[in-house]
Amino acid sequence: MKNAPKSVTIRSYQVGFGDCFLLQFHYASSVRNVLIDFGTTGIPDSLQTTPSVHMPRVAEKIAEHCGKDVAKGTKGKLHAIVATHRHKDHISGFATDGSNGGSGKTIKDLNPDVIVQPWTEDPSAAEEATHARETVRETAKRVVKVQTDLLAMHAVAAAAVKYAKRELQKKGSTAMSVRTLKKLQFIGEDNVSNLSAVKNLIDMGGRPGATAIYANYGSVSGLEAVLPGVKITVLGPPTLEQTDRISTMRSRDAIEFWHLLSGPLQSPQLLPLAHGMLREKAMGRVKLGINLLTLPSQVRWFARRLASLRSAQILEIVTSLDEQMNNTSLILLFEFGGRKLLFPGDAQLENWRYALQEVGKESKKNVALVSDIDLYKVGHHGSLNATPKKMLWEKLTRRNAPGGARLRTILSTMPGKHMGKVGGGGEVPRKPLLKALKDETVLFSTDNLRKSAKPEDTQLFQEVILDA
Amino acid sequence: MRHFPGSSSKAQANRKSVQHRPQMRPPTPKAMREMSVIAQDPSVRTADRKRIVMSKVTLPAEILSNGPRGYRVHVIDYDSTTELYHGAYELPLEYGSEPEAWHLGDLSITDDYRFHAQNVYALVMKTLSRFEFALGRRIGWSFESHQLNVAPHAMVDANAFYSPADQGLVFGYFFDVNGKPVYSCLSHDVVVHETTHALVDALREKYMMPSSPDQAAFHEGYSDVIAILSVLSQPELIEELLCAEDKIAQKKRTLAPEKVEIVKLQESALLKLAEQMGEEMRGVRGEALRHSVRIAPNPDILKSPEFAEPHRRGEVFSAAVLSAFVHVWHERIVGVEQGDGLGTLGDGRYSLRRVAEEGAAVADYLITMLIRGLDYMPPIHVIFGDVLSAILTADIEIRPDDSRYHLRERLIERFAEYGIQPTSDRKDHPGIWRSVESGELSYARVRFDSMRSDPDEVFRFLWENRVALKLSEEAYTRVLSVRPCVRIGNDGFTLRETVAEYYQVARLTLDELSGHKIKVPSGLTELLKGIDPDRSNSDPGDDTAQDDHPAPVGSDEADLKTIELYGGGTLIFDEYGRLKYHISNDVLNRKRQSRRLVDLFHFGFFRAQKGKAGISMSKQSISAIHRLRSLGGTRKAGEGW
Repeated sequence: MKNAPKSVTIRSYQVGFGDCFLLQFHYASSVRNVLIDFGTTGIPDSLQTTPSVHMPRVAEKIAEHCGKDVAKGTKGKLHAIVATHRHKDHISGFATDGSNGGSGKTIKDLNPDVIVQPWTEDPSAAEEATHARETVRETAKRVVKVQTDLLAMHAVAAAAVKYAKRELQKKGSTAMSVRTLKKLQFIGEDNVSNLSAVKNLIDMGGRPGATAIYANYGSVSGLEAVLPGVKITVLGPPTLEQTDRISTMRSRDAIEFWHLLSGPLQSPQLLPLAHGMLREKAMGRVKLGINLLTLPSQVRWFARRLASLRSAQILEIVTSLDEQMNNTSLILLFEFGGRKLLFPGDAQLENWRYALQEVGKESKKNVALVSDIDLYKVGHHGSLNATPKKMLWEKLTRRNAPGGARLRTILSTMPGKHMGKVGGGGEVPRKPLLKALKDETVLFSTDNLRKSAKPEDTQLFQEVILDA
Repeated sequence: MRHFPGSSSKAQANRKSVQHRPQMRPPTPKAMREMSVIAQDPSVRTADRKRIVMSKVTLPAEILSNGPRGYRVHVIDYDSTTELYHGAYELPLEYGSEPEAWHLGDLSITDDYRFHAQNVYALVMKTLSRFEFALGRRIGWSFESHQLNVAPHAMVDANAFYSPADQGLVFGYFFDVNGKPVYSCLSHDVVVHETTHALVDALREKYMMPSSPDQAAFHEGYSDVIAILSVLSQPELIEELLCAEDKIAQKKRTLAPEKVEIVKLQESALLKLAEQMGEEMRGVRGEALRHSVRIAPNPDILKSPEFAEPHRRGEVFSAAVLSAFVHVWHERIVGVEQGDGLGTLGDGRYSLRRVAEEGAAVADYLITMLIRGLDYMPPIHVIFGDVLSAILTADIEIRPDDSRYHLRERLIERFAEYGIQPTSDRKDHPGIWRSVESGELSYARVRFDSMRSDPDEVFRFLWENRVALKLSEEAYTRVLSVRPCVRIGNDGFTLRETVAEYYQVARLTLDELSGHKIKVPSGLTELLKGIDPDRSNSDPGDDTAQDDHPAPVGSDEADLKTIELYGGGTLIFDEYGRLKYHISNDVLNRKRQSRRLVDLFHFGFFRAQKGKAGISMSKQSISAIHRLRSLGGTRKAGEGW
């Protein structure tokens, strides 16, 4: 193709536990920049800094890579942003409220032309649910419902964080180990609402001349407008209508579940998961705090067990919630000049399964389409379930290929921060997956970037170049 | 507006002291007593919606301490979210002294924690007594304590579950859209479902182990169906359901003939019940009933990936049983042959009460059949076909003549429609387990009396007859239980039996497995080959949630390179100590064990331990299974790392 990229440079930035990638497509006489995610939930300790200091540095580096040069007076240009899903570790960097040092302002100044997010984020749904014509209205209503579900999930996560913090403040808490409480806090915080970042993404999409796209399986990505000669396929997430078509009886239960735990959304301060019902001493009830010794002796053992069970239940709830939110991730396949790049955000099995298994002949085509990818962004920081082993991994033909044909993988992760889902394996990145990545692909992991307390000695990014 | 539980004046009036003194009452001569319970849940109301439909249950009488705390159940009202102890409740001594609000189903009882305590106590005890009656003996819990702990307001959570490690039942509560609390302890089906989990665990402790998709599905499907049938065994409730949308029926208390057709009964009783069950409670119970009734018969259904998920698979089991229930109920109303059936009244309509009573009777008998079947199931690796054969055999033993209900016939037919065939291939008595050939067994060196209670004596019998019983000598064998029982049939017929269970464990290397032609999935072979015995003393696992207890296969070097296989059998002795049935799963059965290893590996139950010191086999708790069910989640067959 005449007007097609000659190569692409993929930069992975050091954001600790988070994702941030800049795809720079090189054309004959220009470059096009696409930023995929920009968020963190934890910066490596060895950097001895905080997200609010570190993320602006990363933002400046991204701006620099996009052509910003204060000395030359160039502003830099970001052609598109993809926010795969609303988890903090994927979008917190877009916040402008100071929580990440205002790094979102730097990105906003790069005037992105296209903002792509999953269909679940569409802010126009609320308007359409009320005013659009009937067929559109029904769909919009369902989107709004999902959006309120997401708000309920945020409320549950906020309650879990509050619980974890309170338990951590107690001395000698018997409910859960300090390590597990910290993990609970970590997962909870990742799922707490990022209002400033969400608002900035909407604002950037609403800038005159810019376009906001809310994509789903099979829809256009909107990136085609800024990436001539690049074919982009949206492989996920499916909409509710799409999943309805293939399921005989997919559970409606999940849709209600988070509302039950979050309590009424109009009273988010109540956070029942953290507080329960208000206490009534007048009813002869005993406020115990943590002193179970004030209980009658015959009920103490079970009360202590219940306290421990509650912690385990909250952890179970929050890890389930984390996984559900991951499943709203965009899965994008970029193709140009015979090269293929697959970026799945944090998609979990249910999301992958739709594209690769559940849509008949289309699934076969999709499997064939991804099987010979050149580059794979490892899903969900290398967790247990985000790179489906049989459905995806074993189908990738360039694993173990010789020389330059070998599959490249990029992994943005930070060991020791995230525990896996309940009932599944633990660590992230998962060791057997990490071993397979090292043994069978050319792996680029942000965990290998040089880290130092001195900013000038810290390696902020690494890059992979693929020629057409 | 937020409602505060227990704060209404009626609720306060109903509340009694919270002291812990045992009540000094003279022993009651009564063997049984009655208690008010909510028939289903607070959302199932009378036609005018002003009252909750209540029911009266009969259960063993006892002198309760405050709690209530009885000989098998201890209600502990501790809330771990608020860290509040609500106190111990003194329950009314008899049905007549209960507050009127409890009898009437006044809406205030939803805020009355003393009533909550009675509701869970009565439903747990009723379920226990059903099991004890059906099996003809006392049933101990699977843990050491005699008393099951029950927390009616355990924590804020849209979940309720049985936790053997905590020796108790945990009922969560949560808030509806108006901020009003919704209590899972007030839902009849949820309480019975969790109690059934506890009882199945008490009777078949190995069913909680990872095994086949059927075994994982069995705990949920069986608990579902016992819970639903328990609700349907209350004629008061069926009456309300049958006339809910039928003004003539409400007025005349009769039903038109078309209303008792199979499809109509399904709609008016089962689906209506599913609709009326508290919407909010869907997060706790899922939609088992609605799903089960709507699963269309399909002999290939269990082969589809959707029904490989344990909770969906369990719904197929429920669907088959409920289909049999409706068919038998219909036949009992209209009759199979001339002169059968209830007969119509002068106006050609059926008596509403009689139709309801007949439905409740069928539900009640089906529950008894299902419970009796437990004793005739293998102790480990159960599949649906085993369950069907077990139910049929247990029933024919105590009720040889099925001509009144045709229950066995209908169960075989309905299960077949869902692709479930009995494991036993007997032609003379379809589905019934084969009897033991008595001539091959030796009783010469065992003592008859001891065989009724002593595991060592039963083991001696096993060992003496290991060739005839095809007991694998390569495996470790242990007799788990010996339980004498006296069952009484509906017609007064008494059946005395002794039920013993044994299980076997064989730890085999890859070569040994190959020698027995047991296939090992290639991934599991690789996992085993990667084991480093030098790391066997390293930390066995991560600091994970309570649902993720890794169970190390072994710590000796020899054990590290092996895979465990489990098997076992159930022995049913007659009243003269002769073995009638030997229902076993051979620990070295090539076909079943190969299948099991594939299933377990694909569902991710085998994992290398940290440092590759061995293989762990993880198990899921009831809590996690319920959560997965609520969220419509899936397990990752072969997809995880």
